[in-house]
Amino acid sequence: MNGANFVVHALKEQNVTQVFGYPGGAIMPLYDALYDGGVEHLLCRHEQGAAMAAIGYARATGKVGVCIATSGPGATNLITGLADALLDSIPIIAITGQVPTNLIGTDAFQEIDVFGLSLACTKHSFMVQSADQLGPIIEQAFEIATTGRPGPVLIDLPKDIQIGPSVAHTLAKLVHSNNYLDNRLIAQAKLMIESSNKPLLYVGGGVGMANAVGELRDFIEQTRIPSVCTLKAIGCIPHHSPYFMGMVGMHGSKASNLAIQECDLLIAIGARFDDRVTGKLDEFAPNAKVIHLDVDAAEIDKLRQVTLSMTDDLKQVLPAITIKPNITPWKKHIATMKAKHVSRYDHPGEPIFAPALLRQLAQSIPGDTVICSDVGQHQMWVAQHMFVDRPENHITSSGLGTMGFGIPAAVGAQVARPNDMVIAISGDGSFMMNVQELGTIKRKKLPIKILLIDNQRLGMVRQWQELFFNGRYSETILTDNPDFVTLASAFDIPGETIETKSQISQALQRLLTSEGPYLLHVSISEAENVWPLVPPGAPNDKMMESIE
Amino acid sequence: MKSLLIIEAKNSPEFLERLLRVCRHRGFTTTNINAETGNSQQTLHITITVVSERNISLLTKQIEKIIGVKQVATLRQEKNIKATA
Repeated sequence: MNGANFVVHALKEQNVTQVFGYPGGAIMPLYDALYDGGVEHLLCRHEQGAAMAAIGYARATGKVGVCIATSGPGATNLITGLADALLDSIPIIAITGQVPTNLIGTDAFQEIDVFGLSLACTKHSFMVQSADQLGPIIEQAFEIATTGRPGPVLIDLPKDIQIGPSVAHTLAKLVHSNNYLDNRLIAQAKLMIESSNKPLLYVGGGVGMANAVGELRDFIEQTRIPSVCTLKAIGCIPHHSPYFMGMVGMHGSKASNLAIQECDLLIAIGARFDDRVTGKLDEFAPNAKVIHLDVDAAEIDKLRQVTLSMTDDLKQVLPAITIKPNITPWKKHIATMKAKHVSRYDHPGEPIFAPALLRQLAQSIPGDTVICSDVGQHQMWVAQHMFVDRPENHITSSGLGTMGFGIPAAVGAQVARPNDMVIAISGDGSFMMNVQELGTIKRKKLPIKILLIDNQRLGMVRQWQELFFNGRYSETILTDNPDFVTLASAFDIPGETIETKSQISQALQRLLTSEGPYLLHVSISEAENVWPLVPPGAPNDKMMESIE
Repeated sequence: MKSLLIIEAKNSPEFLERLLRVCRHRGFTTTNINAETGNSQQTLHITITVVSERNISLLTKQIEKIIGVKQVATLRQEKNIKATA
């Protein structure tokens, strides 16, 4: 068994069944091993697509996603995907080919110091320097990617080690012992909750990553404490939960943002006080004591000084601090705010109103549908107006805000969950950033439904130009977009264009009942903006709700 | 605020790169650094002086997350810091 065969063997030992990648010179031995090695490889049409497909796979399943690329440009093309996974704490393993060890540092063909490049965009990275390191490194890589705060790990693998003989390695049986909670902190947290008049849960993506959604729901069920969530936590709390007010922050619901400002106890659970959430940090939740629960100690006091923190496993902490406070007036107030600030879908004229379209779509899809959104206005409309009841069913680039994420992430999600419907919702700007992945959809006959919301603009940037740059629309006008339906047809993906409200129902039916992939191209007005909006530098209760 | 950190880590060729990158990225300027391997070559002993307006705990928590770090100790007070290299 050579090193490349050993890698495939080790991947199988880690229960990896599918990987995403793109071959090239320095990774050819590994591709030879993959040829009949028993791990399915999905050829993406760009390494960035492979990385994002691995992210989609990981997010849709909770398993580790694996992507593979060659040295040099293949490896550098992975970088944005690795950064995306780092910001969103997604466990992926990237394996990159490298020139033979004797050529490293000689500026050989397709040689770049990808290990050096990886330092800023991975949780950890390895350069394999000898065959005997291979087994321990692969084992450590999976361990590091999945434990504590998850994240991406890169393994740079020189070609001579792939070709050379492997060294046997037996997987260690990892034992994760339960931590003992600090009873003093538990008691203090319960006292804070019990004595609070206006407690509020601020739920972040860490809940899903900790596989603690059930514990969170039990906590909410028993305490009846109102809640808001971040973009990445959408799905953690059932949308029909009576005191759940939706997303908080720059494009959060008005009720969420007002509740944050009014609460006297903020319980941050797997959340990191991101600037898109807090607005003006000094005025975020100004009246609140803060309990911060997060596995990453570096997040504690990073931005907001907290009253009490715990870095233990949320699955243990949440049941331990469960206590029902007497907060009837607060709950009534929350219910009133929630009812007062519901989204409105009445919209004049025949042009399609994207929020209403997405609401209708949400009402038409099976419960296990995976929504993969891209980045921009449509992403915020999805977050605001579609309801998703599992975090693994809402996949989007939250921290890095990576345009081009949606289509390849949908590829990964569909591969991971072949029996569930996967819908990629994109904008015309984002769609063009990884449009080559339509080739992957065609190649693997993936039945992905694509909803392309097209305003012939880089809509979110255009919105900011309108609001904050005196309407100077610098390089955001995309009236020269291609004919998207024709483009999709070149990849054997059927589709249609709609532009009026009366066309929506039947078009959605065709989208959702198509056996294979389908593109529904929706033309909307460029004048539509995402509301509400907390302007940059403003506190969350100073929301803009229209142009006026 | 000038701070002196004493770090013990598993020796690896890239460890100093990782450490210096984290210091810079998190808003700390490195003004002095000394690194030595222990007798076994397995462990790296580092003393590093950094300057920043930010609280030093923001940096030490990030350093503690670097794979291979065994221990991070902080001396905060400027008057206590002596030349280390």
